[in-house]
Amino acid sequence: MILEVENIVTRFRKQTVHDGVSFVVEKPSVIALIGGSGTGKSVLLREILGLLRPTSGKISLFGQDIKTLSEDELNAIRARYGVLFQDGALFSALTVEENIRVPFEEHMMLSPEVVSSLIELRLALAGLAPETKQKMPSELSGGMRKRVALARSLALEPELLFLDEPTSGLDPINARSFDHLIRTLCDSLGLTVFLITHDLDTLHGITDRVIALADGKVLIDGPPREVERFNHPWIKSYFSSRAAT
Amino acid sequence: MAESASCDWWYIKRSPAGGTLYPRGAWQLRNITQILRFAKEPLTTSHNPLKIDGSELSALDTAGAMLMFELAAGGKGIEGAEPNLVCALELNGFRENHAHIASLVKERWCAHEPSKPVRGYSQVEKIGQETFAIAKGMQDLVAFIGETLVALFSLIFKPKRFRVREFFVQLEAVCVDAIPIVCLVTALIGVVIAYLFAMQLVKYGANIFVVDGVVLAMARELSPIIVAITLAGRSGSAFTAQIGTMKINQEIDAMQTSGLSPMQVLVLPRIAALIVALPILTFVGDIVGSLGGLFVSKWYVGIGASAFFDRVQANFPYKSFYLGLLKAPVFAAFIAVIGCQMGLAVENNARSVGLNTTSTVVQSIVWIIILDALFAVLFANAGYY
Repeated sequence: MILEVENIVTRFRKQTVHDGVSFVVEKPSVIALIGGSGTGKSVLLREILGLLRPTSGKISLFGQDIKTLSEDELNAIRARYGVLFQDGALFSALTVEENIRVPFEEHMMLSPEVVSSLIELRLALAGLAPETKQKMPSELSGGMRKRVALARSLALEPELLFLDEPTSGLDPINARSFDHLIRTLCDSLGLTVFLITHDLDTLHGITDRVIALADGKVLIDGPPREVERFNHPWIKSYFSSRAAT
Repeated sequence: MAESASCDWWYIKRSPAGGTLYPRGAWQLRNITQILRFAKEPLTTSHNPLKIDGSELSALDTAGAMLMFELAAGGKGIEGAEPNLVCALELNGFRENHAHIASLVKERWCAHEPSKPVRGYSQVEKIGQETFAIAKGMQDLVAFIGETLVALFSLIFKPKRFRVREFFVQLEAVCVDAIPIVCLVTALIGVVIAYLFAMQLVKYGANIFVVDGVVLAMARELSPIIVAITLAGRSGSAFTAQIGTMKINQEIDAMQTSGLSPMQVLVLPRIAALIVALPILTFVGDIVGSLGGLFVSKWYVGIGASAFFDRVQANFPYKSFYLGLLKAPVFAAFIAVIGCQMGLAVENNARSVGLNTTSTVVQSIVWIIILDALFAVLFANAGYY
């Protein structure tokens, strides 16, 4: 069991965001979470990452209920997954190299030479030239920032990767190459990728499974082709949004 | 040779055509340190790369694959393998999922050039860069002062452009809200300075001069300086942080594209508010600081309130008092201009806001001291004391 979300209810004051969201991720695959604005996709992600507590319900990562874990146990779990935030969330005071070094220093006891070799490998895996190492995040373009963030999230050989809108803010060429990269990594490293996206090309191109949120519940959960045919006004307008232009 | 190249983690089979490396066990990130312990010397002495047979691997990740290639391509431990040797490695017998990882790492590795070592800057170059940075900062400041004056002159012809509402919002923030902290600081300074005077003057029986000393010191130097430094830390830094964050948020760009001038909307009201606020707060500081002096003279020197005020009235240092109030708006202009300029100079990252805010406070305080010294020399030479 990689990820289990069981009957999540989230309320902010009187506003109900989730009203019983449940799904299970069992085997390595690429799963996309979709939904209109304000359906609580990001909130759900923050809850899975342990940054926010749901009002009720249970979230298990790698078979462990995250609510019952101590801070140390939670950090051990955190070493097993990587997160790519929407704008990369690189530490702006650190160079690219130092950014990728952070997880190694927090979780691993390795010699500095080994870590620098690993950093170069991570950069190469994310499709970046080694010269990028010395740059500051502010000197990078949006696409490169995302790649560096991906390199950082891959640092500790995660089994599970969370991506928050991986292709937003990228031009179509960069977006497709980022998709391709994610799919390659997923296939060859046996990663499970859980992503939030609005990008139909990502959905059709690389996902195995789509979970659609609406009205605080899971509307439908299945392969993209199946979800596309589902009869619901939001799903229909969502999947036809490109045809209309 | 063949015997020495065998351990818990791998063994090597040699043949006339070359050798084959058989890694075994779990070659994963968490085992890297252990594996490296056995890799004290290169596995190959010649430039003949080994073949790798992965049939005995139980687990493999990208870090493990990297280490495996390094060792097989003649690297010592984790460094020194030549990329072309890695590319020439032959991989056999890997399980399907391991083969994926191994070929991905190999492919990416061969695709990129090894990084060139970057030469650091020498001390001389660093001094040069710093000098240019300081010169650029000065140039920007002068340019900004010019822009501010242009904006100010345009107000003369179109006075309606002045943002009265924004001005009062700022005035409340920098003046009214600052009164408590200014009172606290100047009162304590008044107490300290009176105490210092009293300790000396009591020796000569010249107790009444404590009053003169405190009022003079507060009015001429201490109140203007202390209040200006407090506001540099309180309002100058706030200007930089506010404007800088707005810049990162692209609010300044949005303002310009909607036809609003950041100069008129953000900069001028702030400068005007601070120029109005600082003399007022200095005046408050004069009074509160003198009251701090009264506290000491009553309890330590035995001069009561009525004697204190009589003496103040009889011997009030008008010139120094006016001079103190004259200095305040000049200090204020410098603090506000530096604060706004540094805010607009913020680059597009969070670190820059912090750096510029610090720089605003440091620059403002240095300028306050420099200006104060200039005033002191200027007015003393002009016989104004």
